[in-house]
Parts: sequence; structure tokens; C-alpha cells
Amino acid sequence: MTAPRSGHGVGASLRRKEDARFLLGRGRYVGDIRPAGTLEVAFLRSPVAHARLLGVTKPAGAEQRVFVAADLPEIGPIRANSALPGFRVSEQPALAQGKLRHVGEVIAACVAPSRAEAEDLVAACELDYAALPVVSDMLAARAPGAPLIHEHWPDNAFLETRRDEDLSDLDAVAAAKVVRRLRTARQSMAPIEGRGVLAEWDPRLEQLVVTTATQQPHVTKTGLAECLGLDEGQIRVVSPDVGGGFGYKAILLAEELACAALAMRLGRPVRWLEDRLEQLTANANCREHHYEVTAWADAGGKLLGVEVNATVDAGAYSAYPFSACLEAAQIGSIFPGPYTLPRFRFHTVSACTNKPPILPYRGVARTGVCYAMETTLDALARQLKLPPEQVRQANLVPPEAMPYRNLVGKVFDSGDYPEALRRAVAAVDVAGIRARQAAGEAVGFGLAVFCEQGAHGTSVYHGWGIPFVPGFEQAQARFTPDGVLEIRTGVHSHGQGLETTLAQVAHQILGVDPARVRVVHGDTALTPYSTGTWGSRAMVMAGGAVAEACTQLGERALAIGAALLQAPRAACVLRDGAVHAGEAKVTLDQVARTWFRSPQNLPADVDRGGLEVTAGYRPDPDTGTHSYAAHAVVAKVDTETGCVTLESYVIVEDGGTLVNPMIVDGQVLGGTAQGIGTALYEEMPFDSEGQPLAGTLADYLLPGATEVPDIRIDHMETPSPWTRFGQKGIGESGAIGPPAAILNAINDALAGRGAEVLDLPATPARVLAAIERALA
Amino acid sequence: MKLSLTVNGQATTLEAEPRTHLADLLRGELLLTGTHIGCEHGVCGACTVEVDGAPARSCLLHAGACAGASVRSIEGFAEDPVMAALREGFSAEHALQCGYCTPGMLVVARDIVLRLPHADEARVREELAGNLCRCTGYRGIVRAILGVLAARRGAAT
Repeated sequence: MTAPRSGHGVGASLRRKEDARFLLGRGRYVGDIRPAGTLEVAFLRSPVAHARLLGVTKPAGAEQRVFVAADLPEIGPIRANSALPGFRVSEQPALAQGKLRHVGEVIAACVAPSRAEAEDLVAACELDYAALPVVSDMLAARAPGAPLIHEHWPDNAFLETRRDEDLSDLDAVAAAKVVRRLRTARQSMAPIEGRGVLAEWDPRLEQLVVTTATQQPHVTKTGLAECLGLDEGQIRVVSPDVGGGFGYKAILLAEELACAALAMRLGRPVRWLEDRLEQLTANANCREHHYEVTAWADAGGKLLGVEVNATVDAGAYSAYPFSACLEAAQIGSIFPGPYTLPRFRFHTVSACTNKPPILPYRGVARTGVCYAMETTLDALARQLKLPPEQVRQANLVPPEAMPYRNLVGKVFDSGDYPEALRRAVAAVDVAGIRARQAAGEAVGFGLAVFCEQGAHGTSVYHGWGIPFVPGFEQAQARFTPDGVLEIRTGVHSHGQGLETTLAQVAHQILGVDPARVRVVHGDTALTPYSTGTWGSRAMVMAGGAVAEACTQLGERALAIGAALLQAPRAACVLRDGAVHAGEAKVTLDQVARTWFRSPQNLPADVDRGGLEVTAGYRPDPDTGTHSYAAHAVVAKVDTETGCVTLESYVIVEDGGTLVNPMIVDGQVLGGTAQGIGTALYEEMPFDSEGQPLAGTLADYLLPGATEVPDIRIDHMETPSPWTRFGQKGIGESGAIGPPAAILNAINDALAGRGAEVLDLPATPARVLAAIERALA
Repeated sequence: MKLSLTVNGQATTLEAEPRTHLADLLRGELLLTGTHIGCEHGVCGACTVEVDGAPARSCLLHAGACAGASVRSIEGFAEDPVMAALREGFSAEHALQCGYCTPGMLVVARDIVLRLPHADEARVREELAGNLCRCTGYRGIVRAILGVLAARRGAAT
């Protein structure tokens, strides 16, 4: 179904309920919460990338305020295993033991009444270590004789995956063959709010209460219980307002474990707030891929086969819960993208290096994969002298093939990929660009087409065998005695606007005014278990669960309303927040009041579950929705300075039924801004000693208002046949396409000069180097 | 050290370590947590407040430098009509998501509106260059400010 575009339900661009508090500065983030007696923590972190840890000398007189691993033996190691064959397990100690494996690794926790005093203690600690040779590059990590980061492993690889298919005959038959070596930079996700943790021990409930900026409160609770040896009932995790996630806050933190153990030991609230230096130098932890791609095509641009050898720099440990292999091992299954690839061979490596453990950043592996595939397609188009859109049209999955299962078993639910591409190309004055190029101008046109699997569930994740497998998503719907509808969900909203969109879903089912719907999230004591907000899943999974819970709640309300109206149930309907029987009606407020405060008026056969329903939901099949998009970019290159200007940016996007189009646009725009950062600006360089070289936001460049153009979005709305309203996961989509589309535009602009930029980001230095290489 | 300053119209005297910055003073001592800390080195703009009538990075001002100053944080703009128009515009244009950069963004937006009544889109973007938002891609923020500027120009003619 395509939902109506009126009212306050599914399809309405309703203004956000959460805006009011944020606009008045009344949001409440971890850093805003400081109970009396709170002790602040500063961490002594490793200054080197690889060393034997010989000891820490605590400052004289402060021995009781500095805690190393031996002081907190109750904290077990973080283990994020995978059941994929051949996966090697790393044990990540919360506080370093024996070895230091990356700059910024936590060694000791220093506690004091203020952060400044705690930092003074850090500065007074003496660290003794013996430096070891450093593995700072993912390809060097695999070289024979490379120093071993985990010494009981035979080499520095968490996991290798492969698909063997003999492609050796293609050289003889292909009209075009291209080979590309491509690299994407290591990035910091850089939410404006850093991480933060406040741990307290509640002696009355004998419960550890951890208030932490997380996208996954329930998964964090499970992880804390595993590592601390507590029952899950002894832990409550609260995630209040969170200032941006993007994957950075989908992790069990060493710092959470340390604060939790300290709160239990000291009987005082213990808080740590990450500062920007820590975030940049200890936690630049995403996106770093290397590709060798070979592609063969016929004269019309139809792909005959692709071979990809991909390496992902997974860092020193396997982060909980997504593991060290989520990116690399996924490359094989997502590389074909939206195309009908006939033959495919791949080999992937999750390389272990002396860098922070990799986390899945918005788009996860797709941003790199899209970059590799789409730049390769443009290289083929240049070689075949075909327009780039023609090569893509020759390969896109056609709409009549939907639902489509590709050669690696990925299932695409619905959509018209060729139409998205046609619309994107039509929105750009390609002839005008070609004319400017003919006049010698370094201007270019770049495309990227991709899809985003979202909300994939049990059938996809059980094979990974990582610490969680998403199952049925649950939501609770319940009335308060005065008729307010409470929705309780285990996902977390940190910018996505779920307090609004889940209220819209509830309104769609029950007709309750969204202003009278209260969405409760971010507290494991109040919400059903959930794997949380990740994988573009919340609107599909929690949206479906809320719809189901409200549907069941509506049935119960209908029965009570029918009794109050003295009408047969079959003659009653639920509409606009009231039970109607002909001309007569009783509001849901009255129904709620009856259950709670006038039970003498309830029918004898009333459902004794009352006005409170917990329901579970999972799409069938649960292989995930595929939103998709075509990005079209016009970029101008200053060949003297190497600076790139984005002249226009068009996105044609299909997220199925849009629950709130305004919010979807916001997700797409914000993701695209991050993708522009990936394409042009953001890079955490590491030197050969594994030292991160960008320690401030003046060195690590995030896109500002002058770097992001006024992006045009055109929506298609092909409902997913498998979800409650036809909605698709789309939260990460914007971050996937920009590096591919922008680099294609740059290389189109430079094609006349024979230059090609291969590595991300396309900084002025890289652009100039490419031009110079072409002149040489 | 003892420090006297005016915060949101109220004369205040408090005890502060000289190395404490204004953002920590506002948040820690005065419980005005609407001012957010993003980088503590003056790049992200999340901590922007008004000091003596102009936007300032509260993370770069040490306590000693604030003696006698008049400081206005987001909480101090609750009744301000220009800020009310901006709040309305920000909500209508979906100019905020996680809300963390929003207070600093609003203080700068208000300054743009009052100082540059004829600012066009390019100028607004340039003026916003010192405030980072990681969620929205800026379009809603720029549109909200342009909308308030246009409405004020319309009202003035």
C-alpha cells in the first residue's frame, strides 16, 4: 500500500515532536547528568602503537585513585567472535594487559573530583614499555615476516573469505578490460557529541545503572553482563539524548566496563566524557579499504565478469558486537550491487593492524564497495567510449526481474533501478558539460548507482554468528489512565526522529493524536529487548512492531468500547481515536478511563491483559529491504590548486513508502554531507609508527556549510512487498554514493588530461599528483 | 579565584579555577547544560554563546577572561522574539536532528539575522562556516535562516 499523504499518519511530513526541547537547549545528554559525589575519570592511554607493557608507576599518594588491569580483575575481556569459518578470536582487555596494540588503547583509569584533576593524575603516571615493530598498513600486515599483533596467530588476519570462479577465459572474449587499485582513507565518524559514560551502583536494587551514549542499550547491557560476570537483571542501561551516532556509538566500550567496575568498587557515581583528542587519536576507526578490481565487458558495456581482491584495515581487536569482519566479509556479497553480474570471483581479508578496532560507519562496507564498483564502471565506459549511464543501463537489474536473487544469493525486494538512473541523468545538463569540456574547462559529470540492504534479520545474521542475531523486534503499546498512548521500544533515536515517526505509525493504526503519543526509548528497564538502532532497521522493524502492538491494543479497546456503547462488536469500528457504532462513539480516553478507573463497567469477557500489549514483528522474508539511489554530480576542478567545487548534486532515491518524507530527506541530506566528507576531506593519516596525525578538527576536516551544496532530491516510492507499510531502510543511503559519484565527476573533468584520481579523499594534493602523473 | 559576571541577565559571583573555561562554568557551576561541548579547541562551534553582545566560543574563554562580562546562553534566549522565529524556522525546515549542535547554531543564526539583514544564501553559508553539524547537511539550517531574514525584510517594508 502507498499511504495517504494527509493527516498525521504514515506519509505525513509531520514536524518533529523532539524539536521543542532541543531548540530550547533542554536536551539531556550524558554530559548533562552529574549526580552528587560523582568522580570523573581520565584515562592513561597508550602513546605508542605496539609495545610490551612493562608497568605503570602510580603517582605517589594517589595509588588508590589510579587503576590498572591488575586492580580490576573482575573485568573480563571483550570477545566479539564470529562463527564464520576461519575467524580468529581476539581478546580485548578493558585495561591493557601484557601488550599495547594501538595508540590510544586504555591502560589505566584515574579518578578525581574533576576531570582536570583526573588528567593531572594521568600526567603524573609513569609508563614503562618496550616498543615493538609496528604494523601500520593493512597490506604490509600481510607481508611475509610482518610482526604479529596477536602472537599466537599465524598471520595478521582476522578472517579471509573467497569465491573461486575461473575467469581466465574472459581476456580472450572481452571488448574491454580494466584493472584498478583503489584505496579509501581511515576516518573518524566524528559525531559532535563524543562518547560518554556515567556508572552508578544502586545498593537498594543491587543494580548497576550505566547511563551511556549508545545506539544499542540492550546489547550494551548484555555485553556488560558478559564481561563483568553479572546477571542481566543486575544491570540497567540508560541511553539519554545522544548527539549523533552513525555507528560510533554501536559498541561495547572498554571505558564502559572500567567505569562500571569503578562505580561498584568505590560506591560512588563514576563518569567519563570523551574529549575530541581522544576521539580523533584513539578512535579513528572506520572505512579503510584497499581494492584490486578487474572487470571485463563486451562492446556494449555489459559486464562479463568481475574479480575483486579486497583488504579492510580492521585494526587491532574485534569490536563488540559487530566483530572485526563485518566489513570485509560483506564485500563479497554486496560488491555486485544493483547489477546483474554474470560471473564473479573475490577474495577478502580482514587485516589486523596496530590501529583502533574497526567499527561499521553509516553505509558500512557499501561506501567503499560502491566507490570501487562505480569508478571501475566509469573506467570501462572511458575505454569503450560509451556514456557512463549506458554502461550502467546495460547491467542494472531490470524492474521486471524483481524480486531478484543475484549470483551470490542477495535478494532484492522491489524497485526500478534503471528509472532512477534515467531521472538522475535527465536532471543534469550533460550536453552543457560536454560543451564546456570541449572548450577546455576541467568540469566533469559523475554518477553512482547503488542499493542499500537494510533491516536484514535472523536469516542473514545467524550465519555471521556475531554476539547478537536480530530476531523478532518487540514494541509495547499501552494506555495510561488518562488516555495517553505510550509506545515503548528498544531501539534508540539519536537524530532519526523516532519519537515522531513511531507516533505517526501509532496514529495510523489507532488514530490517537501524535501529541498524545509518548515514545519511550533508551532505557533497558522500560523497554523490550532489542538489538537497537543500526543497519537502517528502526523504521522497518520498530515501525512494524509498533503497528502490530497498536493493532492488538486497538482490538482490546474496541471490545471495551463496544460494551460501553452497548453495541455488538462487529458493528463497531475504531476510527479517529474513538470506537464508533453508527452515530454513537466513545473515545479511547473513555475506554482507558474505564479499564483503569471504572472497571465495574467492563464487559464480563474483557481481555484481562488490559490496555497493554507487547507484540513482536519480523518481515517475512527477513532478508532485508533494498532502498536504492542514483547520485549525479557536476564537479569543477581547479587544475592549478587541485581544489574541487561541487556545482550541483542530484539524488534520485527510493526508500519505499516514506513514513515521514521530511525526515527521510534529512537522513539523505545528512548522509550525503558525510559522504562528501569521505570523498573530499576526511582522512586520519597514520605514520609508519602507527601514530595518528590529525589531532584536532582543524586537521581532520569535516564538511561545513560552505562545502555542502544545495542538494536536490527526487523521490521514487516503490513499496517493499515485505514490510508493514512498504517502508524500506534508508538511513545510511546518503553516505554510500558520494565518494563514487564525486570521484567519477573529478575523473571525467580530468579525462582530457589523461589524469585519474584513485584514492580517497580527493584532497588538493592527490588531485595535483594525479595531474602531474599524467604529465610525466 | 572569585569571579563576577552576568549570566542571562543575572549578576553572578562564583568560585572558579583559573584554568576552567566558560563552557564548563556554565554547565558545571550554573547547571546551564544547553551549552554543549564539542571539541574544546574552537572549531566546531557547539559551545557558542553570546558574550557582551557577540557570539563567542565558550570553550576558548577561560574564567579569568570573563570577569565583568555579560554572557547569554541558549537558556537566556527563551523569550527572545528573533530566537522564537528561528526556533520556528528550524523546526519547519528540519534544521536539527540530534540537537547537539543546535544551541550554538541558533546563537550564530540569531547574530546573522540581526547583523546581516540582506545576507543571501552564499553569505549565510559563509557565516555558518564556524559551526559544524554532522547530521543535517546544513540545508535546513540555511533555509531556516534565509526564511527568517526574508520574513523580517518583508515586515520592514
